[in-house]
Amino acid sequence: MIHFLPQRKNLVFFKNLLLRQIRRDYLENLTGFAWLIIQPLVLLAVYAFVFSKIFQARIPESGGVTFLPYLAVAFWPWAAFSESIIRASGSISGNSALIGKVAFAAELLPLASVSATFLMNAAGYLAVLVVLTLIGAPIHWLTLPVVIVLMFFWWLLAAAIALVVSTLQVFVKDVAQILPPLMTFWFFTTPIVYSAEVFPERISWLMNLNPAAWFVGWFRKLLLWGEWPSQWPILLVPVVIGIGFWLALRFFRRFAGHFEDFL
Amino acid sequence: MDTLARLENVSKIFPRVHRPGERLRAFASILTGSEPSDGAKVLSDINLEVFRGQSLGIIGENGAGKSTLLKVLTGVIQPTAGRVTLNAKVAPLLELGAGFQPEFSGLDNVRMKAAILGLDWDELKHKLDDILAFADIGEYIHEPVKHYSSGMVVRLGFAVVTAANPELLITDEVLAVGDESFQKKCIRWMSGFLERGGTLLMVSHSMYHVQRLCHRAIWLHNGSVRRSGDVEQVTQDYLAWHEQRSAAEKKQRAAVSGNDGHYRVAAVDLEGAADPDAELPVIEDQLRAEVGLYSPDGRMPVCLVGIERADGTPIYGISSDTDHIRGAQDGEHQFRFRVEFSVSRLLPGRYHFKVHAMDPEAIRVCDTQDLSFQVRGKSEEFGLVRLPYRWLTSEEDASD
Repeated sequence: MIHFLPQRKNLVFFKNLLLRQIRRDYLENLTGFAWLIIQPLVLLAVYAFVFSKIFQARIPESGGVTFLPYLAVAFWPWAAFSESIIRASGSISGNSALIGKVAFAAELLPLASVSATFLMNAAGYLAVLVVLTLIGAPIHWLTLPVVIVLMFFWWLLAAAIALVVSTLQVFVKDVAQILPPLMTFWFFTTPIVYSAEVFPERISWLMNLNPAAWFVGWFRKLLLWGEWPSQWPILLVPVVIGIGFWLALRFFRRFAGHFEDFL
Repeated sequence: MDTLARLENVSKIFPRVHRPGERLRAFASILTGSEPSDGAKVLSDINLEVFRGQSLGIIGENGAGKSTLLKVLTGVIQPTAGRVTLNAKVAPLLELGAGFQPEFSGLDNVRMKAAILGLDWDELKHKLDDILAFADIGEYIHEPVKHYSSGMVVRLGFAVVTAANPELLITDEVLAVGDESFQKKCIRWMSGFLERGGTLLMVSHSMYHVQRLCHRAIWLHNGSVRRSGDVEQVTQDYLAWHEQRSAAEKKQRAAVSGNDGHYRVAAVDLEGAADPDAELPVIEDQLRAEVGLYSPDGRMPVCLVGIERADGTPIYGISSDTDHIRGAQDGEHQFRFRVEFSVSRLLPGRYHFKVHAMDPEAIRVCDTQDLSFQVRGKSEEFGLVRLPYRWLTSEEDASD
């Protein structure tokens, strides 16, 4: 049986894990904190240069949106998503001092890891949006509450994937090697550095199955054009991702008591 | 009775996980919920209950599955089959500093451990000073745990547990760590914990500690419960089994000497066993025995009887020859001796009643038989027999 209502002690433990993760990964070393902002900025600059100058990527010309904000608004959420999954994938094998020694809800480990990365990247995202506004990009701040709600489901999707991936990594160590290229593949098949319109008509249905493409599109529509997303998936998102998360949690808990045998 | 923890038909198999193929097979078996096809069966069909206020000791040889049992009980690992129910606030103290992460500071680890044990922020804030005082490791609390000595890790681990105020404390042989003064502190705390109505579940090789602290005991042998019940009985059976095992090794070497004498022990009967269900006859106070000896030539053999400890240590023996006792003759070749020992001086444990048939000249031992029996009871004395003694008090010294 799956308990969704977390116990009080699990909440305290989760908070501890989260704070500690943030402190260790970002705050305790100056460079970690700096890199949190700098690394995506550098990547952003590289992608902006390569795709707008070299490949001459075209974006839908409307509302005076240039390539840089078009890329940045989608790139940051993706960075949070991808980084959180990769980091969380090792959260079970990296905490072998806890697993098999004390009894606790092990799912809190990947969940705290994903949450820490999302929180820190949210700070970076906000900073980027401010910078974009300052350099004259038309950011629709009023849509922020909707963006935050969508962000929650974006996080939930990352958490579901992290639960599955971190479990798999306990059994198949190669997951640590396979995952980063997979995420890169996902990155390039998602319209982040280019626009969804470049897809040929006959495979666009395939792209519609990519949840990352939905989210990236919504973030753009909301923040850059202030438009409420009209596609049908937005109604399905809470249901689909909710079910996905539930299944992932069931999968994780099925294995949680056996991790120690394999670490 | 108020049950704090219950295990029902619990089994645990550790799957083989060395090669990638084995890992995948184990993965599949968990996913489908079937038993792993091969692996080490560490626990099989364990049933136990822990009642409030009735501390339970778990004893057994190394590798009997004691630590695995504790891990299953505390929910650290899941059993392959069976059910575990916990109805109490449990604090496990399984390994030295279990669950401490070496790269984090002592304080961080205390927070983490406290959260796992169910203390929330406010409670922890209240108790943090107590914890630090109990652990008494000073400024080291801000250092990463990897720089700690093992003693410091244990102190910190124990200190957090004391703050968690558990109903059921589960410990794995941790009383014997730390320096002298910390051990005293732990034992003092433990006594207080038990007086306040706390319940202890401990694994220990120290029968002294188990008898001291527990009411009931379980003897695990090769992953299953060999005996369970009152702590005195279980620990005595366990010790006796150990003694007998080492005696059996000796005996095998000694058994070479032959049985070619004519005079034989035909029958030995012990009378007056107190508990007909016990594995061995239980003797209280009087041991009465009837010995039948066979004589090939009709001359009366000499009967030598005695008691030895299960490990073969002789305690007391007598002979019909030196006592000038004649047995009763039943027919031409059979002789019967009856003897009664007072065994009330023997300390609880397992003993052998040993009978030798000697030739009429009392020179050669022709045959030997023995029967095991046990003496039960509660004892905090040491050795084999109770000797009359008294403590000399200082007043008496002064009057001398």
